[in-house]
Amino acid sequence: MFVYEKKLQYPVRIKNSNPKLASVIISQYGGPDGELGASLRYLSQRYSMPYPELKGLLTDIGTEELGHLEMVGTLVHQLTRNLSDSQIKTAGFDAYFVDHTTGVYPQFASGYPWSASTMQVTGDVIADLTEDLAAEQKARLTYDNILRLSDDPDVNDVIRFLREREIVHFQRFGEAIELAKQRLDQKNIYFTNPAFDK
Amino acid sequence: MNSDGTTSRPCGDACGTMPSCAPLAVPYVPFQQQGSQKYSQADALANGTLFPGLNLPFHLKADASQLPDNHSTQLQALFFVVTELGMYLDTHKDDAEAFQLFRQYAELAKEGKRRYEEMHGPLTQLSAGQEAAYRWLDDPWPWELQEGGAN
Repeated sequence: MFVYEKKLQYPVRIKNSNPKLASVIISQYGGPDGELGASLRYLSQRYSMPYPELKGLLTDIGTEELGHLEMVGTLVHQLTRNLSDSQIKTAGFDAYFVDHTTGVYPQFASGYPWSASTMQVTGDVIADLTEDLAAEQKARLTYDNILRLSDDPDVNDVIRFLREREIVHFQRFGEAIELAKQRLDQKNIYFTNPAFDK
Repeated sequence: MNSDGTTSRPCGDACGTMPSCAPLAVPYVPFQQQGSQKYSQADALANGTLFPGLNLPFHLKADASQLPDNHSTQLQALFFVVTELGMYLDTHKDDAEAFQLFRQYAELAKEGKRRYEEMHGPLTQLSAGQEAAYRWLDDPWPWELQEGGAN
């Protein structure tokens, strides 16, 4: 089960509101390569993993991603505090505002709601772990692009941290593939799917 | 690990080991080597990783963050190292040196959490249940911006 810890993984203290920036950062909350999809992908892929180090790693990274979801939600919340009448009319934020006011809703920057179609659980060890490598790269580049769009140092500190975590996770998933391969048929690792073929 | 207690890292921290005669048609990421250089816990939190060899920032924000040194960031730094080392051990379970460090940080984090909760209130429901009054509902919640307060 999960137990809540009443703290963030990393401090988020955004002094200046910026609804325009919030309307792009929301994509890392509920967008195609965001933290909600990341946590659900890993925590769902766990069930078909046959080896202890893979069960453990997917649990631990999936859990950390839930902490990142909270950090991104915090960014959006703090960027949309105390908005003036003119700020809510900011181009790009007004469309979000009409549906959600200043609530935090999981959606793409384009407004499309979070979708499970952005992630996969194949039940195949190598396929799932290879998807996870790609997922970490997609999240990393989204943070790169947020850094291109943001000139707020308070925001960029947090984005730098989240981006670096994607690189560490990529490394661990790569090592996990190697650990899985060591247990598979050494002549042909695709000979069976150990999660299904007994 | 070598007999003299040191660990040889012939490739340096920025590189890792690959299998020799690697089979075709599979993805490869080099294994992080045992004994990799590590940051202090405060620098680990500020950089987003415990390992300098994995710290690969984007050109638009290459420098580590300047985090305030307060009770909150001190606790976050200890918990962060536990998270980072735990994940490392998931794929390096036989690294005895890393496991010893993991144990040390887990103890520091446990003690740090106890002291933090004495001053700032419970971090979990379990802790809330060990106090004389129900303080779980006290502000601030983690997403709320508090001037000079905990976050």
